[in-house]
Amino acid sequence: MIKARDIIKSYGNRESRFQVLQGISLEITDGDFVVILGASGSGKSTFLNVLSGLERPDSGKVLYDETDISSLPDDKVTSFRKENVGFIFQQYYLLPNMDVDKNVRMGADLAGNKDYRNIIEAVGLGEKLHKYPGELSGGEQQRVSIARALAKRPRVLFLDEPTGALDERTGRQVLDYICRLKDTYGFTIVMVTHNLNIAEMANTVIRMNSGKIADIYQNKAQKTAYEIGW
Amino acid sequence: MLVGIKNASKLIGISIISCCAVLVCTMFLNFYLDVRSIKNEISSELSMIFYHAQVSTVKVVCLVSGGCLLLTSIVMLMFYIKHYIDTHKKELGILKALGYSNLKIAKSFWIFGSSALIGTAIGFGGAFLLMPRFYALQNKDKMLPEITIHFHPAILLYFVILPTLFFAMLSIGYAWIKLHTPVLLLLRDSLQITSKPPRHKGNRNSGLSFIEELKRNTLKSKKTLVFFIIFASFCFSSMTQMSLSMKDLSSEMMGAMMLIIGLTLAFTTLFLAVTTVIKGNTKTIAMMRVFGYSQKECCRAILGGYRPISYIGFLIGTVYQYALLRITVDLVFKDVEGIPAYRFDVPRMFISLLAFIVIYEILMFAYAGKIKKISVKEIMIE
Repeated sequence: MIKARDIIKSYGNRESRFQVLQGISLEITDGDFVVILGASGSGKSTFLNVLSGLERPDSGKVLYDETDISSLPDDKVTSFRKENVGFIFQQYYLLPNMDVDKNVRMGADLAGNKDYRNIIEAVGLGEKLHKYPGELSGGEQQRVSIARALAKRPRVLFLDEPTGALDERTGRQVLDYICRLKDTYGFTIVMVTHNLNIAEMANTVIRMNSGKIADIYQNKAQKTAYEIGW
Repeated sequence: MLVGIKNASKLIGISIISCCAVLVCTMFLNFYLDVRSIKNEISSELSMIFYHAQVSTVKVVCLVSGGCLLLTSIVMLMFYIKHYIDTHKKELGILKALGYSNLKIAKSFWIFGSSALIGTAIGFGGAFLLMPRFYALQNKDKMLPEITIHFHPAILLYFVILPTLFFAMLSIGYAWIKLHTPVLLLLRDSLQITSKPPRHKGNRNSGLSFIEELKRNTLKSKKTLVFFIIFASFCFSSMTQMSLSMKDLSSEMMGAMMLIIGLTLAFTTLFLAVTTVIKGNTKTIAMMRVFGYSQKECCRAILGGYRPISYIGFLIGTVYQYALLRITVDLVFKDVEGIPAYRFDVPRMFISLLAFIVIYEILMFAYAGKIKKISVKEIMIE
């Protein structure tokens, strides 16, 4: 269970201080698929960063079970991320001088995962094990970043606009891989997107506006990546 | 102006190296030209042998120091221009897209030549400040007639004006070559992956851990930096050991001069290399931190590979200083009396090695602090 309690986060100096998150509270249950929606500047990415331990809130708490990660020292937060969370970003951030196998090992080594090649197979890149990122398409690169994130066996997978740089066909394919892997490994998903259609795939949808939660609702039925509009 | 004086100021390494090269070469060459003018006044055979030994020393010092440092400055300049183009791809791409020709953009790189001008001018001026003491030491036994210091305009031309022009032209030429890249490739963000796979492809099934692989990759991806690390430890090793030997072979002043030049070169090059390594890997370090790699693991992956390289540089420096002193003593001063026999000094080598290890580890500890300061948010800054 992830609990956020009265999260406040501001940027800028005294004169031009801007409160990005204005006292957000919510709970995410284990195994949930949460989509955070919002316009640009609504604070959704900042909230994702705070929830995942990439940023500290100015005030408030982020609790994983009973551990408050917002009060942990830096090395403990790093260790927490190592053991609990995986990340997928819009820009992939693969290491260009390493092939697919070695990029995925970046995640696998942290968890001592010797069977990481199963995940590469699962994302359909078994044939491209020794290809370099520059030799792959955008969709394939994003699949490598999915494999890299999952190879460390995270409890929670955070995704920041994972299909933002992909075309519709590749975007659907990537989302489908993520959902299938969630069913296999049972991790929690927290995904930030501005694509309203992707919300139909989630259990829980959070709409953010001006640093606050405008709406939270549960989908009665989830659609697959190939059933949603784009 | 596309490339400003602020960018050129980052080439302080070249200024320092050229300053050292010109300082040493100006002193020796000026001495050579002045001592040559009094050759006719030398009457005794012993003095003539001493004269020839001094002339040979000048040639060896100018060729070895000047040549070695000039080569390093050229490598450093080319490295920095390439690095500048790599980190300013977007701006350069926009200029090219707007219709600026490669030559027009490359011309603004002439300013990098100013680093050589500053270094050579300071070195030239500094040489004239040290010259009276240097002349006195070179002729401390009064084996040669009185040598007066003269100003030789040719030295100013060869050591200050021509190197500056050469470096400015080299900057323009190299930038022009490097700018021959398609506009679209330049416009892509430097971090986005290009269609070109790396030239060096690692062992497919090496079985090494990710950290070890990254360590190897960091070394392979920037070979120029490996050269700089070797050069830095080479300078430290050769110059400290030579300066310790100078007390017996020449003078304390020569020893102190060598030590200062050696340490300056070593620290400048090491600083440039390690800073570039860290800056070039900022995103990788940030990504490792995002994933949960500890600071120690980040340091091991990014900086750890350079440790054995630095020891290789130290070893080369040790062999080099031994060979150079051996040649100088056995060949150049073979007929001169009073020069003690030169043998490899093991205790001095160990003193130098110990100092090297301590200083290197302190520097790496300081740089580990820099790595610690890299925020995971670097990955979000685009």
